[in-house]
Amino acid sequence: MTQAGGAARGDGNGEDAGRTGDGGLDPQQAAALLDQATLEARRGFATSPALWVFRAFLALIAFGGFWLSLRHQHPYTGLPSGWALAVAFTLVAINIGWSTIAIRRAGAGVSGPTQRARQAWLGMMLAAWIVAYAVTAPLHHAGTSHPTWGLYPASAPLMFVGLVGAITAPARRDWPMTGICLAVAAIAAIAGFGGPAGAWLILAIGLCAALLCAAAYRARQQGRSPVRA
Amino acid sequence: MTTDELDPLIHVPARLKIVATLAALPQGDALSFTRLQDMIGLTPGNLIVHLRKLEDADYVTSEKTGNGAASRTTVTLTEHGRTALQTYTAALRDLLGGL
Repeated sequence: MTQAGGAARGDGNGEDAGRTGDGGLDPQQAAALLDQATLEARRGFATSPALWVFRAFLALIAFGGFWLSLRHQHPYTGLPSGWALAVAFTLVAINIGWSTIAIRRAGAGVSGPTQRARQAWLGMMLAAWIVAYAVTAPLHHAGTSHPTWGLYPASAPLMFVGLVGAITAPARRDWPMTGICLAVAAIAAIAGFGGPAGAWLILAIGLCAALLCAAAYRARQQGRSPVRA
Repeated sequence: MTTDELDPLIHVPARLKIVATLAALPQGDALSFTRLQDMIGLTPGNLIVHLRKLEDADYVTSEKTGNGAASRTTVTLTEHGRTALQTYTAALRDLLGGL
């Protein structure tokens, strides 16, 4: 614990001593305490950048696994192998669990207009995910060709979800999220040109890179000193 | 510039922590008393004393909802409080630059 941090954990009433530099809070201590309190609060109210790093590797491993299991498929069915699906679903389940815990912890005791807007946005994004992937069921049922069936789940749902996020996030003035959603939509659109199997590889690499950038940005924002900015 | 020019209401460890913590939330959002207490590490009595001083200066507002065991107190940093912290931070930066 820093000297300033120790002072803060004292009886909290030593204000007269802390008013001046005479044995109280000198400017360096005040700056250290302000930095420490701000950084701790930012970390407490936000999800960890580690979660974004995990999501980046989730995209790389899950979509990369799909590509590995589909690239030599003859005849092409568009369905990834059992192991690739098992790995992807396990990672997605871990992501959902971790995200739920992290969001609940960050939002514990916090209320107000920003929180309500955030919850509404998360609900809308969940609906967008469900709608985007629900469309694949009738597509499959309608007997579309295998390349189409294989290409659609790789590219279109993420493009749709990314665009919904990019259109709605600015209403919350969440510019980093707007950037991430735009990147996801762009990568998904580019992946469409990679062919049925190649689309998964483009998604794996593109999304991993975009999510790692998001993690780095968040870590930088959370660690920025308010005094030395 | 000297430390005397720093806002004396904020230039106290416990209150500096309270204001910095609340300022990490978006403008208008409130924090429950219990979460604030967990984050600051003060006893409820001490936290109430400091919050009262900040409330008197219109740096924070508190709101109590519900009754009995279901009651919940939330604390919000006012615009005035946010501006005061920004002024304090700028003054601190000047002081450190001059040292």
